[in-house]
Amino acid sequence: MTPFLQTIAFLPVRTRHMRKLAYLSLALGAALSCRDPNVPDLNNPSLDDLTTHPTPSKVAAAAQGLLVGARLNIAEYNGYVSELGVFGRESYIFDPGDNRFETELLFGPLDPGGPRFGGNLWVVRFANIRAANNLLAALGNSALIGLSAAEKEATTGFAQTIQALDFLEVINTRDTIGAPIAVDTKLGDPPAPIQPRDSVFNHIVRLLDSADTHLAAGSAAFPFQLSAGFSGFDTPASFRQFNRALKARVQVYRGAIFACATCFTDALTLLTGGATFIDTTPGFSFDVGVYHSFGTGSGDLTNGLYDPTPAKLYAHASLYDSAETQNASILKDRRFLTKTQFVSLRPYGSHSDSLGFIRYASATAPVPIIRNEELILLRAEANRGIGGATNLLDAAKDINFIRVHSGNLAPIANLGTQATDSILRVLLKQKRYSLLFEGGHSWIDHRHYFASGGDLPPTGTLRLFNWPTDKVFLLMPVPLDECLPRTRPSRGCP
Amino acid sequence: MVHRITLLASALLVCVGVADGWAQQRTITGRVTNALSGGPVAGATVAIVGTATVAATNDRGEFTVSAPPGGVTLAVRAIGYKRGQASVAAGQSSVNFALEQDVFNLEAIVVSGQATGIERRNAPNAVATVSGVELARVAAPSVEIMLAGRVPGAAIQTNSGAPGGGVQVALRGTTSVFGAATPLYVVDGVIVSDAAIPNNQEVISASNKGSNPSPLQQDQINRVADLNPDDIGDVEILKGASASAIYGSKASNGVVVITTHHGQLGAPRFTVRQRFGVFDLAHELGSRVFKDSNEAVAAFGAAAAAFFRNNSTNPNWGQPNFVPGQAFDHEKELSGGHNLSTETALNVSGGDANTRYYVGGLIKDDEGIELNTGYKRQSLRLNLDQHVSSRFNISFSSDLVHSLGARGLNNNDNNGVSYYMALQFIPSFLDLRQKPDSSWGSTLSPINFIQSNPLQTAALMVNDEDVWRYLGGARATFELYNAERHNLRLIGNGGVDWFGQKNTLYFPPELQFMPVIQPGKPGASLLTNGDNLNTNYNLNLVHTYRPGGLVATTSAGVQEEDYDLNIGRIVSKNLPPGLSNVNAGTDVSVNQRREQVRDFGFYGQEELLLRDERLLLTFGARADRSSNNGDQHHYSWYPKAAASYRLLNPLGGVEEAKLRLAFGQTGNRPSYGQRFTELDATQGIGGLPGLTVPGIAGSPDIKPERQTEIEGGVDAILWGGRGTLELTLYQKSVSDLLLPHTLAPSTGFTSQFLNGGKLRNRGIEVALGYAPLNRPDFQWVSRASFWMNRSRVMELPGGDTTGFRVGGFGCSDGCFFLKPGQSATSIFGNKGLDQSGVCCALGKIGDASPDFKLAWTNEMTHGAWNFSMLWDLQHGANVINLTKLLYDLGQVTQDYANPLTAAQATARGCTGSTVLGQCRLTQYGLYTGTYTERASYLKMREVTLTWSLPPSVVAHLWAGARDVRLSLSGRNLIVITPYTGMDPEVSNFGNQPVQRNIDVAPYPRSRSFWFTISAGF
Repeated sequence: MTPFLQTIAFLPVRTRHMRKLAYLSLALGAALSCRDPNVPDLNNPSLDDLTTHPTPSKVAAAAQGLLVGARLNIAEYNGYVSELGVFGRESYIFDPGDNRFETELLFGPLDPGGPRFGGNLWVVRFANIRAANNLLAALGNSALIGLSAAEKEATTGFAQTIQALDFLEVINTRDTIGAPIAVDTKLGDPPAPIQPRDSVFNHIVRLLDSADTHLAAGSAAFPFQLSAGFSGFDTPASFRQFNRALKARVQVYRGAIFACATCFTDALTLLTGGATFIDTTPGFSFDVGVYHSFGTGSGDLTNGLYDPTPAKLYAHASLYDSAETQNASILKDRRFLTKTQFVSLRPYGSHSDSLGFIRYASATAPVPIIRNEELILLRAEANRGIGGATNLLDAAKDINFIRVHSGNLAPIANLGTQATDSILRVLLKQKRYSLLFEGGHSWIDHRHYFASGGDLPPTGTLRLFNWPTDKVFLLMPVPLDECLPRTRPSRGCP
Repeated sequence: MVHRITLLASALLVCVGVADGWAQQRTITGRVTNALSGGPVAGATVAIVGTATVAATNDRGEFTVSAPPGGVTLAVRAIGYKRGQASVAAGQSSVNFALEQDVFNLEAIVVSGQATGIERRNAPNAVATVSGVELARVAAPSVEIMLAGRVPGAAIQTNSGAPGGGVQVALRGTTSVFGAATPLYVVDGVIVSDAAIPNNQEVISASNKGSNPSPLQQDQINRVADLNPDDIGDVEILKGASASAIYGSKASNGVVVITTHHGQLGAPRFTVRQRFGVFDLAHELGSRVFKDSNEAVAAFGAAAAAFFRNNSTNPNWGQPNFVPGQAFDHEKELSGGHNLSTETALNVSGGDANTRYYVGGLIKDDEGIELNTGYKRQSLRLNLDQHVSSRFNISFSSDLVHSLGARGLNNNDNNGVSYYMALQFIPSFLDLRQKPDSSWGSTLSPINFIQSNPLQTAALMVNDEDVWRYLGGARATFELYNAERHNLRLIGNGGVDWFGQKNTLYFPPELQFMPVIQPGKPGASLLTNGDNLNTNYNLNLVHTYRPGGLVATTSAGVQEEDYDLNIGRIVSKNLPPGLSNVNAGTDVSVNQRREQVRDFGFYGQEELLLRDERLLLTFGARADRSSNNGDQHHYSWYPKAAASYRLLNPLGGVEEAKLRLAFGQTGNRPSYGQRFTELDATQGIGGLPGLTVPGIAGSPDIKPERQTEIEGGVDAILWGGRGTLELTLYQKSVSDLLLPHTLAPSTGFTSQFLNGGKLRNRGIEVALGYAPLNRPDFQWVSRASFWMNRSRVMELPGGDTTGFRVGGFGCSDGCFFLKPGQSATSIFGNKGLDQSGVCCALGKIGDASPDFKLAWTNEMTHGAWNFSMLWDLQHGANVINLTKLLYDLGQVTQDYANPLTAAQATARGCTGSTVLGQCRLTQYGLYTGTYTERASYLKMREVTLTWSLPPSVVAHLWAGARDVRLSLSGRNLIVITPYTGMDPEVSNFGNQPVQRNIDVAPYPRSRSFWFTISAGF
């Protein structure tokens, strides 16, 4: 106020009456200026508040938030399942508002500057990794009272498992590029270095193992609630089965990528020793497992893969072409029939398609994270990877189990004694149909075994697609924004 | 707040009651006439200099004023005329005045501070003034459009052709990148909101689900559209910091100061005006005509053949008027509306020496060209000026507005439901119309072209924006002290601006696209309630000191603004047929967002008029704080200083020339919430609440952007007032830009708002006015303006030389990209593979800012006839035409099938393509420039021909009538542009400082024709 008062003081105000009035108005102004100018955040809680002043309820909300975050960009029409589906020739995305789903995802080149074509599959995963780190920091804060040590252990194990899943989904899309690991940096610090693919996988294994230890030391129940998709796996003890199942998948991936025999062995151990929920006994269900839940409540998300008419999501025609005929029938593979349907032809740029998906029956249908059918197939893959007569026979047994019970196909006689490549082809075909439109399995699996020279083989029995001008990309580039702040700001870093 | 206003008012009222002491001893009468025509000047004010006595002329130009004994000086002022002054000796009882017209507003007072004004001839800045008469000549959807072409330095463009407004006003270049984009609007001293609240159509269009999650892709109306142009007396535009510094940290985009009409002394004067008009689709995009079934089959598959067969296999067979192979004009069917639009205005003005009033009423009904679109507005303004005592004047203004906009469903979309998004996929051979059995032509079967039938969508859905608004203000002027040399006034302004906006959107289950985009739960009803309350006041002390030889005006004041916004949204899906209440759906979600801002500032200013009012020196400063800043207690200082000097008759033909130089700083305060790093608490899973990391980090140190402007120029009055020249050079630098500093997304955050970087604008404005003919029987006034602005990013935070993306849908579609050394509105895109053969070499492919703009207005009066027109030219600038890209994707662009020879294809870089559309598509991913087009234009924005009925006829028709006029007018009747889209004025993201000129299925451009009858009595 000082300069203002000075200005007034120098005014040639003559009469006392007038001066009084002038000062009265000034005093009024001064009084008004003393009003508290503070306006708090009226919409959301502060991020720092969780880590600096943790309470059990904040921790519970943050833990539940990890499930919200892990679900983001999975089942959107342009999310993980559908975009990896495009690469793996499971799906088309015919978005009337954006032709880059054709020009970029099918013709290329992939543009690291585009936020929706891969960039999103990086950004939201790391946002959830940050959320998990915040939760872990809150759990480590001694100011957190009201949670027992065992409850903190259980929550830690939960957070690390979800974080491992996020890292796995990152490396699945970036493959040989790798990914940053030490991302728990302060804002303003230089970004974490991008580590090679094997380091990322090692980190995922470390996280899962650490989580398993924490879960083992955990309380009987979690101090927060899990979504319906975790039904049956919603206590620290049962959640460990989910953790071990994820590890089995990671070990099979590592076995395939790095020709790591011990990884396959480890996976087999997990899948045969009762650590997971794998089940082929009578009364089994392929669908037992862990899922992303969807809902129509306020603030909830619906399953964007449910698109029966369809508006945007079409199934690749090669699914029809390569589907086998059911045992003693003229019908196609039961998995094909239950997951796709014929619809009216949709022209889109230089493509057109008339096969739609019915994989998800409603807008609230859950999307699998991992389930029994995959575990059986992973066991077959581990056995095939280990090799040797016994293991190959075991692999063939699981493959035929899936063919019979899932596809209603005839078992293949003497499969276990065929060449390992033949077994692999049959196995990957079963994975394609069994895990169709669930998480880019077709693309990831084919890349593990057949990627060479920067592309998948365009011809032969493993030919993935039937559209001559379409390209298959092996990985998504690192988003431009991730590269720009780095010391080597070349496009497609590192 | 209310409590405080009461306090303030009572404090002021205490001062009332000092009685006038004049002994009225004689009467002076006289007449005021137009020097050129000899006609009477009604409504002129006649004042006795040095007293508070004032009178007004009647319709015959006559006045009567009471004067003290002895010699006095009378001063006469009338709008549009130069002032007159005459000495009246003690014994003289009558005096006449012949006033010269002031066609170029040379004597107007322009704003120089919160409570002070200065004559234009001394003004140190190029302040543009537009009179209400000019504004209201041709009807327009909203008031800002009427300013287009009238203000040198202003880039005014509509965001779409939709009725009801949505207009961007950018003054002198790029003044921010992510900060507030609109100027500050001040109406009668009260700050009014120009907020634009989106209608939430994105729930259905999924426009935020694609590559850009911005919620501003919903063709929102910025609320300054609520003002009634007829109520406006004049508009003054402060174009940069050197003029607007005293408005502080909200003024860096310039300030638009609007003064509404106030009552004129005298008997009530009524003006009634009735307009009838019609809007017409101005530019059709057209659609490919398929010459036979082979062409259709090649494009869409075998099922397309049926549309061309003249037998029962054709889905249209048997319909009335069916022509095999017929091409339908879907665009005309959708946007060919010609319903009658009307506008009725009535205003009354009058009063006596103590009380004056102005009442303005408007009922407006614009019918849109798209089916079921339009805009209705009703407003009622009351302005009251009360002379309480010789020292105390108070005026009240009150404006109640109701508007109802129906905007259709336009702009970006990822569900194929917005009208032109759907048309991009619908070939001309498909019949979309409603059939006799009341069903609609399908776009889903036998071929699934697209989800929606836009004709059905337009016929059945509702997208209404219902706004009630109240603007109220009071201004009190109290003369604390008045003597020969000193005058001290206390001036207080206070006001309230409240609006309630209700958006009701209803998509019935019967819509073809409903079960497709919302399978299993068709029908959607969206309800948005936005509640905005701004309250603000300022208190000013103004001291004028006239010791002789100089005039010193000292002013100081405080200003406080509160801003409260509360937006509640309800989305209800799965509705039973016929019910649109949101509680009828089974899938209901709600959302609320609140914003609250408290700003406070104080200021002081000194203006010195020296050397016989030829030299002006002014300096001042303002300090502002805001709750939006990181440090809410910190004051930012904004200084200003300016000088001007008038040279009399410096050259032959130059009557007067003024040299001026001005410097000033202003700010652009952060938006609400930019200082917070939050967890998102709005999401949940299966009924469980969860906290997630939202991706954008706040900054606890955030502070306003700072703009520094230096402006200099020469103003000249030529040929005895028949010509004027205004030449201005300016440089505007903006530092501490509010930028979303891109973070490596692996941190969990994509960006953080930080202050940093710097950009610069340099420009030239030239305004010429000339009256080639000024005879009693023929007057012709012509004005031309030229301006150009060059912006340049000077530096980015952290010495970043690479730059980063600041808007668009990703660079392969064309993006805005900030890079040091480049224009701030540079459009970047892919320019082929980079040197190592990797996608893609990113480079500049265009710019959203024009090279230069030219405007030319002419007004001619010959007897009873008056003709005026306004031409506006823009040269340069680019638009990213994604509408065309998507038409190509749908293979229905008008020129898609134009054949290319092998040589032509190779020359165009699309070897192998046989048709034009295919060629463009193949180039698109690697060469973004394919769809970036020139946006130059020449528009005849306004044209009017008016005929005034001869007075004898008027008198014969109606004895009480003053005048009756008939006019024909048009808006945008001629548009010449190389742009192939609907309109080179377009912005998918609404009002944006940088990210504009993106064309994604907007509401089409229209031209309008009007017939007007007006009468005064």
